[in-house]
Amino acid sequence: MNVKHLAGVALVACLVASCATSTNESDETSDSGDSEGPVTLRFNSLAFQEPTIEASKAIVDAWNAEHPDIQVEYVQGSWDSVHDQLVTQLQTGKAPDIIHDESADISGFARQGYLADLSPYLSDEVKDAVPEGVWDAVTVDDKVIAAPTLLQSYMVFANTDLLQQAGVDIPAGETWAWDDFQAAAAKATTDDTYGVAWGLAEPTATVTSLGMNFGATFFDGEGDDADITVGDPELALPARIHEMTYDDQSIDPTSLTLSGSDALPGFLHGKYAMTVQGSYVAQQLVQDAPEDFHWAVLPPLSAESAAQAANPQTLSVPAESPHVEEAAEFIDYFMAAQNLAKVAEGDWLIPASSEASDAVAADTGGDNGWNEILNSGEYLTKAPFQSVTNYPQWDDQIATPALQKYFADEISLDELQAELTDGWADVSGG
Amino acid sequence: MSVRAHPTRTRSLQYVALAGYLIFLGFPLLWMLSTAFKSSQELADITPRLIPSDPILDNFGDAIDRADLVHAGANSLQVALATTVLVIAMTLPAAYGLARYKTWLRPVTLSWILIGQVFPVILVAIPLFLILDQFSLTDSLVGLTIVHAVYALPFGLWMLQGYITAIPRDVEEAGAVDGAGRLRILVSIILPLLRPGVVATALFTFIASWNEFFFALVLIQDPDKYTLPRTLVRFVGASDQVQLGPLAAGALLATLPSLVFFLLIQRRLTAGLLSGAVKG
Repeated sequence: MNVKHLAGVALVACLVASCATSTNESDETSDSGDSEGPVTLRFNSLAFQEPTIEASKAIVDAWNAEHPDIQVEYVQGSWDSVHDQLVTQLQTGKAPDIIHDESADISGFARQGYLADLSPYLSDEVKDAVPEGVWDAVTVDDKVIAAPTLLQSYMVFANTDLLQQAGVDIPAGETWAWDDFQAAAAKATTDDTYGVAWGLAEPTATVTSLGMNFGATFFDGEGDDADITVGDPELALPARIHEMTYDDQSIDPTSLTLSGSDALPGFLHGKYAMTVQGSYVAQQLVQDAPEDFHWAVLPPLSAESAAQAANPQTLSVPAESPHVEEAAEFIDYFMAAQNLAKVAEGDWLIPASSEASDAVAADTGGDNGWNEILNSGEYLTKAPFQSVTNYPQWDDQIATPALQKYFADEISLDELQAELTDGWADVSGG
Repeated sequence: MSVRAHPTRTRSLQYVALAGYLIFLGFPLLWMLSTAFKSSQELADITPRLIPSDPILDNFGDAIDRADLVHAGANSLQVALATTVLVIAMTLPAAYGLARYKTWLRPVTLSWILIGQVFPVILVAIPLFLILDQFSLTDSLVGLTIVHAVYALPFGLWMLQGYITAIPRDVEEAGAVDGAGRLRILVSIILPLLRPGVVATALFTFIASWNEFFFALVLIQDPDKYTLPRTLVRFVGASDQVQLGPLAAGALLATLPSLVFFLLIQRRLTAGLLSGAVKG
């Protein structure tokens, strides 16, 4: 009986304690940002790797020390849940003062008018340091709705021992031609080894971004008023992957069903000579590759050009925030070359500003693939699909299953073209 | 006939099926345990091993320090316990009323409860947020507890009214014949008989609240008030990047309290489930 009584008392105590502590905490936080005392800004950061988190917190600490009247509170968020969180927070006016996201996601919120125009507040230094094509990716209805911070590109990672054994010269130019890549993959394919592993379980982002190498645009127009075009340039990349998989047999067909990270163990185990991955994978290779595993990041792939879609990570401010100017001031501070270089190095991503890119090159000496990764940044530019309202739905419901079927050799190129085109009519109501 | 003729073989097959089911249920937990002790190098190995070749404890340190697991665990415990107490306190009388007073309201109420369960939570997130905000209950563990309780109530009500229906009315009538009043019948006769049902409902409610992620994500913004699922998500990054070791270690530690809770009341739960399954 005593145990039961104790358990009952403990439950009631927990209930009361829960009420008491939560009410007190609510009262404390509700005062932040009032007109009296320093302004407090909430910064929801999505920094992922520990060095980037530390670098981001160090930037906040330095800012807080230099700006006693504008204090920034660092809150750790997550990429996995940021969209759901922002849907509610922006619609209810409870979003953080500084929002960390990526342009593909944040643009939808911007088109609904939830984000402030930062262009009046950002300094000329910041504006000049970021390439025009990257600014385009964060410009909606002629408003700069975010500051672009970090970018990723698709790179070819190579097991240099396997390539050299196959007699393939490690390319060292500014870019690497698709034909040469295809030939190298075929040459490196043996009874035990595939030339390439390409994790394309979610293929649409890769096809629409890297397809720009072949002049693919897919969409014409912006917002709700956009038309699709699936012609030769748009089909060139899927056709090339299909040809390498089923004609050359230099891409492992099972790898096409994996995510990018799932294809890495096979690459590290010498099952594949090359793998196409996001540039940030270099961090994992530095961390996890065995000492006797020799790898390199190869120059960006190029056909008509080496262009890829710029989908930068972004810092935005809600239009309803009472402290837009102060938040933009912090973002401007965050964008300083040395700050951006530190956060870029931690997550192995490309800083949006050229000065920060130079700082990363100086810090790292260009080793471990940094030279090639930073070099690829100059080819990143806005892709037409990034301005299209119904693109996410087309990606999810139409393009992804259609491309998966094509890469599984279940439908022909003509059928793929028809599914992509007709599917757009369905999702866009056209 | 065949069952009687080969009782040993039938029993053996039952054990094989049971073992298979146990492996099906237990393997993910076992794999999580294994992953929690592996280094990132071993996790990147092409040959997966159940027994880590070089077990490490770093993932647990990472999970506890970086995700502030102890503090988040305390928040989760507060919310889950408070939700459980609230749900049991509210469902007991409601379930008794639904089970014993069989008017036209009963099927209507039960159908209404079922219909309420089919709406995706994302549909109600924004209006719920606005209502809670009116009462300063966003970014508050009290608000989260209320939401968890509201979402656990229908299922709890369904479970408990099934258990109450299974208790013969004769038992109550016998108590009345002996001179017991309504309250006395409820407290001294019904409640003790209902204990397995209450335990089962409490367990389901506790685990549902303990694991709940979406409302914790939407309602809680202050890191000091993060619950366990809310804090563990930090190990998942963009573009399929996952810090698998710390995530597995954190998830393993987060699973322990509900496992302990389950073990403590396992005997009563089994009795409760059986009675509910047969008669509910």
